[in-house]
This record gives sequence, C-alpha cells and structure tokens, in this order.
Amino acid sequence: MSAGETLAVLGGGAEAQPSGARIRRAAVGLLVPLAALVIWAASAQYGWLPIQILPEPLVVWDSLVQLWSSGELLDHARVSLLRVVYGFSAGAAAGLALGLAMGLSETVEDYVRPLFTALAQVPTLASIPLLMLPLGIDEALKVVIIAKAAFVPMTLNAFAGVRGVPAQLVEVAQAFRFTRLQLLRRVILPGAVAPIFTGVRYGLTKSWTALVAVELLASSEGLGYLLVWGRQMFWLDVVIVAMIAIGVVGFLMDKTLALAETRLQRWRVTAV
Amino acid sequence: MDARGGTAAAHLEVTDVGKRFAVNGEAFAALDHVALGVAKGGFVTIVGASGCGKSTLLRLIAGLDRPTSGALRLGGVPIDGPSLDRGIVFQEPRLFPWLTVAGNVMLGLENAQMPKSAKRAAVAKHLALVGLTAFADAYPHQLSGGMAQRAAIARGLVNRPAVLLLDEPFGALDALTRTRLQGELQAIWAQEKITTVFVTHDVDEAVYLGDRIVVMAPRPGRIAKVFENARPRPRERTDAALVHLRNAVLRELEATLGAEAPEPTRAGPQAAARPQRPAALRLPGAAGA
Ligand SMILES: Nc1ncnc2c1ncn2[C@@H]1O[C@H](COP(=O)(O)OP(=O)(O)O)[C@@H](O)[C@H]1O
Ligand SMILES: [Mg+2]
Repeated sequence: MSAGETLAVLGGGAEAQPSGARIRRAAVGLLVPLAALVIWAASAQYGWLPIQILPEPLVVWDSLVQLWSSGELLDHARVSLLRVVYGFSAGAAAGLALGLAMGLSETVEDYVRPLFTALAQVPTLASIPLLMLPLGIDEALKVVIIAKAAFVPMTLNAFAGVRGVPAQLVEVAQAFRFTRLQLLRRVILPGAVAPIFTGVRYGLTKSWTALVAVELLASSEGLGYLLVWGRQMFWLDVVIVAMIAIGVVGFLMDKTLALAETRLQRWRVTAV
Repeated sequence: MDARGGTAAAHLEVTDVGKRFAVNGEAFAALDHVALGVAKGGFVTIVGASGCGKSTLLRLIAGLDRPTSGALRLGGVPIDGPSLDRGIVFQEPRLFPWLTVAGNVMLGLENAQMPKSAKRAAVAKHLALVGLTAFADAYPHQLSGGMAQRAAIARGLVNRPAVLLLDEPFGALDALTRTRLQGELQAIWAQEKITTVFVTHDVDEAVYLGDRIVVMAPRPGRIAKVFENARPRPRERTDAALVHLRNAVLRELEATLGAEAPEPTRAGPQAAARPQRPAALRLPGAAGA
C-alpha cells in the first residue's frame, strides 16, 4: 500500500473511523517489513553482501514456492505445530493450576513460590542438558521443554490475576455470603481472565520459540530442523524461508488468541 | 452520654462497641464505647469527619468485621457475620465490570432461596425502583456515576433486607444528582419501610434524610451527640426547623473537630513517625469516654 492510499484511508468519513483507523494501523505495521524488503533487494542488487550470505529476495521466493508446492513446508510446520499443541496445553494447564493455587492459598504460595521463582530464572534451554538424560532426545524432551516454556509465564500471570482481583469485590461477595466455590466461579476467575489471557499469549510465544530452539538441537523434522538443515547445506534461501514460516505461524497464533481475547472480554472492549 | 439513645426496644442494637486496629504494632481505637439503637423502620444518619470510624461501625453492623469489645444485635440476635438480611451499599459502587447491570443486581440473589424466575422478577422490580430498567443490559463502564450508585442501591435492596446500610453512597456525585438520589432513596425507604443506617460527611444530607442524626467524633471514634429530627416527610430543604437543626448539628460537628486541635501531635506529618503517637492519641479519648 502506498503512502497516498494510507492518507486516503486516514481522510475517510467520520463514521468510518473505527474500521478505517484499524486498517490504517495494520497498514502502518507493514511499512517496516516493506522497508526491510526494499533494503534487502537493494543489497542484492548492488552486492552489499555476498549472495552466499544473503540471497536475493526472488531466490528465496522461488524456494518458498517450491517448498510449499512440494508440501514439505506444510509437513514441517504441521510437525512443529503438533509439538507446540501438546507441550503448550500441558504446560499452560499446569501453570494455570499452580498459579491459581498460589493465588488462592498463601500456604501453597509459601511452600512453592521460592522453588518456582528459582526455576523461572533458569532459561528454558539451559534445562535441556539435564532433561536429555532421563528423557532422551525424542518427542518427550521436546514436549517437556515446550511445556516448561509455557508453564512459567502462565503460572506468574494466573497468580497475579488472582491476587489482582480487587478486595472490594471480594468483600461484596462476602456480604452476599458467597461460598468459596461461588467466590472462585463468580468473582476470582472472571476477575483474573485478562491476566490469564496474557499468560496464555505470552506462554504460547515462549512455547513457539522454545520449540524452534529444541528442534535446532535434536530433530529430524519440523521448522527448526528445516532451519538447521538449510544452514548445514549452506542453502541460505531455505534458512530464510524457514524463518519466515516460523515468524508467520507465531504471528498468526498470537493474532488468533488476541481475537479470542477480545471476544471473551467484550465488556472491556466496548469501553474504547 | 445517654443522649446516644440506646432505645430498649431497638431493632438494631449496638452496645458499648469498641474496635481496635493494630497500626504499626500499636493498638489504635477506631471505635470506643459506641452505643446506638435503631428502631424498626427508622432512618438513622451518621455524620462525622473522615477517619472517625463511620465506615468501621457500618462494617461491624454488616458483619464484615467483628468488634474488639461490646456486642451488636439485630432483632435480639447477635450479629456474627454477613447476612442477606442486611444489605450494604459501599462508598464506591463496587459493580462487577464483567457483569451487566442486571447481572450485578442478580449477584445479590446468588444465595437467595427462590426459583430463577422469581429472581429475575426481583431484579427487574428493583431496577425499576432505582430507574434503571432501560440500562439492565448495560455494562458498568457505560453508566454515569449516579447510575452506577443506583445500581449498587438496587443490589443492596434486592434481597429485601430488614436493614439497609449505606456508606457515603452519594459522596462522589455532583450536587444535582445527589439531591435527586436523596429524594429517590427517601421514596424507596418510605415505600419499603427498611431500617436504614446512612453514613455521610455532609450535614445537609444527614439532616434532610435522618429521623435521627448521630454525630461522631474522631480519635478515638465515638458518638458525640444524637439529634432527633421529627420533621414530617416529604421535607423541604429550606424548612426553617431543618435549617435550625442543621446549624446545631454543624456546631456539634465543628466542636468535635475543635477538640482535636490542641493535641500536640497535630504539629505536622513528621509527628506520625513518632512511636508515642497512638498512645498519646488515646488519652484525650479515654478521658472523654
Ligand atoms: N483495617 C484497618 N486497619 C487499620 N486501621 C484501620 C482499618 N480500618 C480503619 N482503620 C482506621 O480507623 C479509623 C476509622 O476509619 P473509618 O471507619 O474508615 O473512618 P470513616 O469512615 O469515618 O472515614 C481511621 O483512622 C482508619 O485509618
Ligand atoms: Mg468511610
């Protein structure tokens, strides 16, 4: 989209503002990638970097088309996605449970918080060497690493969510003699939805990056593997295609969740 | 001290209640020897400077807190926790942002023993009572301050409590809205005959609404004087008798503030750090009690 078109959208009628503004902001988000693409093309054109290191955009495009039409790219993406689905679900579920438990009970917090905090400081990848011993380097390792990556932000956000529910609202519930279960269902959980969703989104991003990293280390399929394989073969075009695929999948997952979030919290969104 | 007005036949009885909080490791008397009786269907207003224990007293009556000493009874039964029989409206509306107005009022009926259809009818009825029928499906952020407070009043009333407790419910509203809501509250009270305890820091409001006006004094929180207000309703704000009473209440209120002035610890904010302060503060109160 050209700058002229962007301006045209900007100048749209007042009643079209909400959707017009949304399109404009989405368009602005494309400007930086487009600029990068232009610089990339210029670099290839004028030979700023040797093409062995940075291949031309068109070559990358050809590889993308080829990997796509052969189904290879989708196969790798499917393998990676499945790993994330398993690992993330397990990690997020465990994190939600622990975060809620710590948030609801100071006893649980006192027992678990120190260990959890220490665990959270260890980068996910740093636990790979240790986990390799009991788990080997197969699927189990990948799923556990991915789960751990989602587990930490999920726990922290669920915990903060529960603790962030205003005491005043809890007091209203007390005045109406809510049972503990009613308090949880009607006050704590709905009140903690926003931070929990932040945990889900953040956890998913963490899972996805951890997945690629663990696939770099030990795998024979998946987008991370495609990346390593391309590098080893010195096919930088494949490397770039893999990077683009990783970025696009991650972006789409985050967008999907953001959409779900706004749907789930319509009461908040309409405030804008 | 007997002017505090503990009526023998009172519906709601507050007997010699004290409430202490630990502040920086020191006991701090938020309430000291408070005695108050409220007749069934009565409308008591409580005025006092901020920090004199009005909210604390209301929370004790609501059962959200327990007294350090003394006792509270409703209809002869000791108050030992919150009850659906005592509705409370807090200083802030405290609406649940993720529920509609109707959903918020329905929350009050979560533990009411009645069929779902009766609950829905009760919600509709009380929304109509506060004039919010058209906003039943609106979310709290879509309401003005006055509407939010009316929703909170509907929620406080929906259980048809024997006692309605209101903590400065109109404090944050503009004068016009406040005046209108005062009128609406009076109408509801007259219609439902609910025993009402209404906390405010606004003397005009206290005199206009109450058939008994309790003036509280701070440090320690205690009842300074109780005024009776027998003027019939509906009342005119400009009524000479009301204006006269208002001036008397105001003088009493000013006296409670004046009593505070000679205290040496009022010197400045740095004094707050002095560990002797709470103990020093208790002395004049103990002498006054
Ligand atoms: N939970 C508490 N812990 C410690 N001090 C409290 C607590 N609640 C109230 N207080 C103190 O008790 C005094 C009376 O408070 P409050 O009843 O809220 O006054 P009011 O409602 O008349 O403004 C204040 O000095 C306040 O700081
Ligand atoms: Mg108060």
